[in-house]
Amino acid sequence: MEILRNPNFDFMKYRRFWVTVSVLTILAGLFGIFFLGRLNFGVDFAGGTQLTLKFRDRPDVEALRDLIGRAGIREAVIQTFGSEGSNEFIVRTPIIGGSEEGSAALVLPALNARFNPDLRGTDLNQIGAPTLADLLIPVDPDGVGTERARDHYTGVAESVMAQRKARGLFSSWDQVREAGGLSPAALESLRGSTMLGSFAVLGLENVSPQVGAELRQRGILAVVGALVGMLLYIWVRFELRFGVGATMATLHDVLITLGLYAWFGYEFNLTTVAAFLTLIGYSVNDTVVTFDRVRENLRKSRSVDTLTLLNKSINQTLSRTILTGGTTILVSLVLYLYGGDVIRGFAFVMFVGVIVGTYSSIFIASPFALLWERWFGMGGRFGRAGAAAKPARANR
Amino acid sequence: MSKSLLWRLGLVVALAALAAWRLWPPGETINLGLDLQGGIHLLLRVETQDAVRAETDKDMDVLRREAADDGVAGIATRRLTDTTFEATGFAADRLAAVEKVARDWLGGGWDWERTGAGLVFEMEPANERSIRDGAVNQALQTIRNRVDQFGVAEPLIARQGLESERIVVQLPGVDDPERVKRLIKNTAFLEMRLCEYPWVGGGAPSRQAILEHYGGRLPEDVEVYPEDERDPATGKLLGQTFYALEKRRVITGRDLRSANPSRGQLGQPVVAFMLSADGARAFGEATGANVGRGLAIVLDGKVVSAPRINSRITDSGIIEGNFSDQDAQDLVTTLRSGALPAGITYLEDRTVGPSLGHDSIQSGMRAGLYGSLLTVLFMLIVYRLSGINSIIALALNVLLIFGALAYFGATLTLPGIAGIVLTIGMAIDASVLVFERMKEELRAGKAARAAIDAGFSNAMSSIVDANITTLIAALFLFQFGTGPVRGFAVTLSIGIFGTLFCGVFVSRVLFDLLYANRPRAAKISI
Repeated sequence: MEILRNPNFDFMKYRRFWVTVSVLTILAGLFGIFFLGRLNFGVDFAGGTQLTLKFRDRPDVEALRDLIGRAGIREAVIQTFGSEGSNEFIVRTPIIGGSEEGSAALVLPALNARFNPDLRGTDLNQIGAPTLADLLIPVDPDGVGTERARDHYTGVAESVMAQRKARGLFSSWDQVREAGGLSPAALESLRGSTMLGSFAVLGLENVSPQVGAELRQRGILAVVGALVGMLLYIWVRFELRFGVGATMATLHDVLITLGLYAWFGYEFNLTTVAAFLTLIGYSVNDTVVTFDRVRENLRKSRSVDTLTLLNKSINQTLSRTILTGGTTILVSLVLYLYGGDVIRGFAFVMFVGVIVGTYSSIFIASPFALLWERWFGMGGRFGRAGAAAKPARANR
Repeated sequence: MSKSLLWRLGLVVALAALAAWRLWPPGETINLGLDLQGGIHLLLRVETQDAVRAETDKDMDVLRREAADDGVAGIATRRLTDTTFEATGFAADRLAAVEKVARDWLGGGWDWERTGAGLVFEMEPANERSIRDGAVNQALQTIRNRVDQFGVAEPLIARQGLESERIVVQLPGVDDPERVKRLIKNTAFLEMRLCEYPWVGGGAPSRQAILEHYGGRLPEDVEVYPEDERDPATGKLLGQTFYALEKRRVITGRDLRSANPSRGQLGQPVVAFMLSADGARAFGEATGANVGRGLAIVLDGKVVSAPRINSRITDSGIIEGNFSDQDAQDLVTTLRSGALPAGITYLEDRTVGPSLGHDSIQSGMRAGLYGSLLTVLFMLIVYRLSGINSIIALALNVLLIFGALAYFGATLTLPGIAGIVLTIGMAIDASVLVFERMKEELRAGKAARAAIDAGFSNAMSSIVDANITTLIAALFLFQFGTGPVRGFAVTLSIGIFGTLFCGVFVSRVLFDLLYANRPRAAKISI
């Protein structure tokens, strides 16, 4: 199938228009981040505590907020999580009074008091297999004797917990009964000594202020380091003006995606930094392919003016740009739709980033390379020496 | 078939077989990250100033006691900071004698200065460093013991850097996170001390009551400790009572030879212990001389129980308290592993419950499957038969990525799965670059084989440049990332090498296989 046969668009003609559009979009994003405080830092960078909770019955979010507020924590962020009807919530609280170990010790007792008011004994939804085994061993409902008790009840406990793992939470004893290897006697014993609380803690993250600051610093170092590393690589492989063009295009992609990310309110965490670095890699990748063609065309003839050269190269690589961009956009869309809540922010960055990255390889990278050339000349001798040192390919 | 083609084909088949063999049996050869299989990641700080302060306290006692033995009685010592203390209350002409005691008994770890009132001691920096260092190492060992006893498979417990006060603990697959975190953090400093007031039979209702007993001022050799009163059924805190105990410890946790969970006379959970030879001698002397008096069992600064000494006890006994079975079991675990030399603060705590990880794997795998199917479809539509070529290369790429993960023992994390899904999208880029180039060459009138040659060699530099730039990003990510993000960087890097190999080498082999015997073929299904 042919996507485009010998395309010949004048991409460079409208370069001022596209650069203006991009600059305005970036400004809108930065405005959101810096003046509206839109960027939603997760506990990785801001510090604080994040609890992932699953409830048996859907709680009222306002009541939940009120409850946590009365436990002494204002400014808690409460979001739904997971699929519709899973009754899963994320509760994120900031650092309280410089405490390093977080707010779980405040939030969980408050939740227990409200949602499990008459809980006595052990909550089967809040313990794990070793504790469950320790409960059954001294009672020995299956009558296996002290010799075999530990092995036997560890097996039983693991089977019960595997059952809970698939559900996240036991909401009735019928669900407990389905666990393999759990005898009626053992079930009766559990019903006597434990209860089914009405919520479970699926996950907990706590980051102290100090560690949050360190993670922030490492994140910035990673992004800046990667950008500088790529600029250097392109400078060595191509010419400085192309390095500048590619870096401007990449910076452009990062800023636009960051702005949209902030406006959409996704949580900014370590995984997001990973997503942005991948985006940087992809964006440069995309730009490099075009510049590679420019370099090839340059070797064929030095006489053509840069504008024509850039246009020609963009057109020659256009169908590749569309095809690769297309598959990657498709795949990140799938990741966004089906990858689950934990990975959604990541997939968003990739999805938006690849679209913007494809656009910028055409409309941003080349105009900046041209601009740099007009202002500062062709760029360092270093680049040209590097290009000339490579064995010239036979012209066909 | 040419010799070089045969050789290259052999290499591809061998690598595929190697990867498949590394991956067998499926599902057991790849390390899953904590975010996928559930578990705990902890970064903790050992509060080493606790250990430094304890050392200062100990040396103050040594100085006072040894000086008294040498005839300088009544020295008063007072700690000024964690690393300094002053000694006063002796006549100026005894200064030299006290200094001699310091030289002989303080082990060279202290500098001191004469002041008007006496001496001010300051810990030498090297001594302080070694105390801090020792405390971290001892904490590391203690935590290892505790985790081992709890039976966690493949734990990672390591100091973060050589000089650091931080310890990283990673416990995959733990489904009882709160209990394990308590177990690790428990200082578990056990001591037994004789009761001063009340002499026997339970605590005083308040601190005030004890002060009144002593006429408003506590004697030098006495300290007050609280005991929590809890409701036996719910464990709710009801109130506190207080004991005045001798400062001298009869025995501490270090004197234990063993500890085991057991049952008391009423069937309640207790901890039975055996003492070492030295411990048994001290215990025997103290209990023999104090029959009828209370003996307080103090754990981490709180009285657990204070039973009456009924007769001389030498090498074994029980610890009673308001324990549940689990409490008794955990106390045994901590007693066996020894006390922590200092307190612990959790700086970073990431606990992933098993069901959260379970959901993540499912959605990650589903996204991967759909992504691959769409890509396959896309390539077939756009490149027809040549699309099959790229699909084989892609499948091999995924196989090699997983094989390499298994081979290097790398960890697959949720962002790592996302990385693989993305690699699927981006690996196609190599094929697209080559195929588009071939189309151009065909349009320029080249025959099939020449077009294949030109397509690969001309696309090569683009492919290499493009992938190296992504590799640069991955390296920085690996350097500065932590946990799951690091797993992502590893997967991404492996994916890049896989892409280069499959997109360039394997794909070329496949084309050569097809067209090797048809030197004059003019058309490629592309």
